[in-house]
Amino acid sequence: MKPAEVSTPSDEEVLIKRSFDAPVSLVWNAYTEPELMRRWLTAMPGWSMPVCEMTTNVGGEYRWRWRDDANGVEFGFTGEMLEVALHSRIVHTQLYDPGTMGGSMGDGPSIITVRFDETDGITNVATSIKFASKSDRDAAVSTGMTDGMEMSYKQLDEVLAVMNVQTPAV
Amino acid sequence: MRRDIFQAIADPTRRGIIALLAIQAMTPNALAEHFDTSRQAVSKHLKILTECELVSQEQYGREIVYSLEIEKMKEIDKWLERYRKIWETRYEQLDALLAELKQKEKKERKK
Repeated sequence: MKPAEVSTPSDEEVLIKRSFDAPVSLVWNAYTEPELMRRWLTAMPGWSMPVCEMTTNVGGEYRWRWRDDANGVEFGFTGEMLEVALHSRIVHTQLYDPGTMGGSMGDGPSIITVRFDETDGITNVATSIKFASKSDRDAAVSTGMTDGMEMSYKQLDEVLAVMNVQTPAV
Repeated sequence: MRRDIFQAIADPTRRGIIALLAIQAMTPNALAEHFDTSRQAVSKHLKILTECELVSQEQYGREIVYSLEIEKMKEIDKWLERYRKIWETRYEQLDALLAELKQKEKKERKK
């Protein structure tokens, strides 16, 4: 499959697109069943996901937590499911849970929209991350570029929201 | 140092200045013509961009010309690339998981 495409369609949004060689029913399961989510929802070697509570009920809450097994440092995300359309769309809020890692990501939650769309056994997944406000984003920019950057991809999220800069074509 | 780059591009006017300087080096007056803000405001933005080492200035007679530091801009690209990699790592894990699930489904159908 082609590598993920990342773009910044607006000041407050990051969009990630990727296709998967599987029918949407399986992709959906991988996105919604905790035992499957745990298998792929980590991106950092040496980290585990001790908490992975998920729900597909609108109004329900989810809770994800990661742990650096080397030193026990934890952080996570919590949020509420806003919209769930089977095999097609998941919309949820996302709040940073500083755990023992610390840091703050502004006051408002971001809104995550995941769209699924299958053609001939290939499923396209588009993930949009929309930040609450410009001030949230700016706050994250000033704090987010200090230590622990590599660990906290949430902070990276926030930083990237400001990156809709035209890269010079040189 | 890195923090400064991101602060530099957090402002829409500064992003506009960067876009213009990406095309060619310009004087503050020429830059100011492209924005509704005052010449003073543009100078302030140029000062911040200079402090972040995203632009550099050169004196030509009585004029100061600003140009973009391409290498510094590439640092921003690197961050974007890093972010893309984090997602790609996850997605590759998902690829492997999906292949396994597909296989399992196939087997179950055969039963």
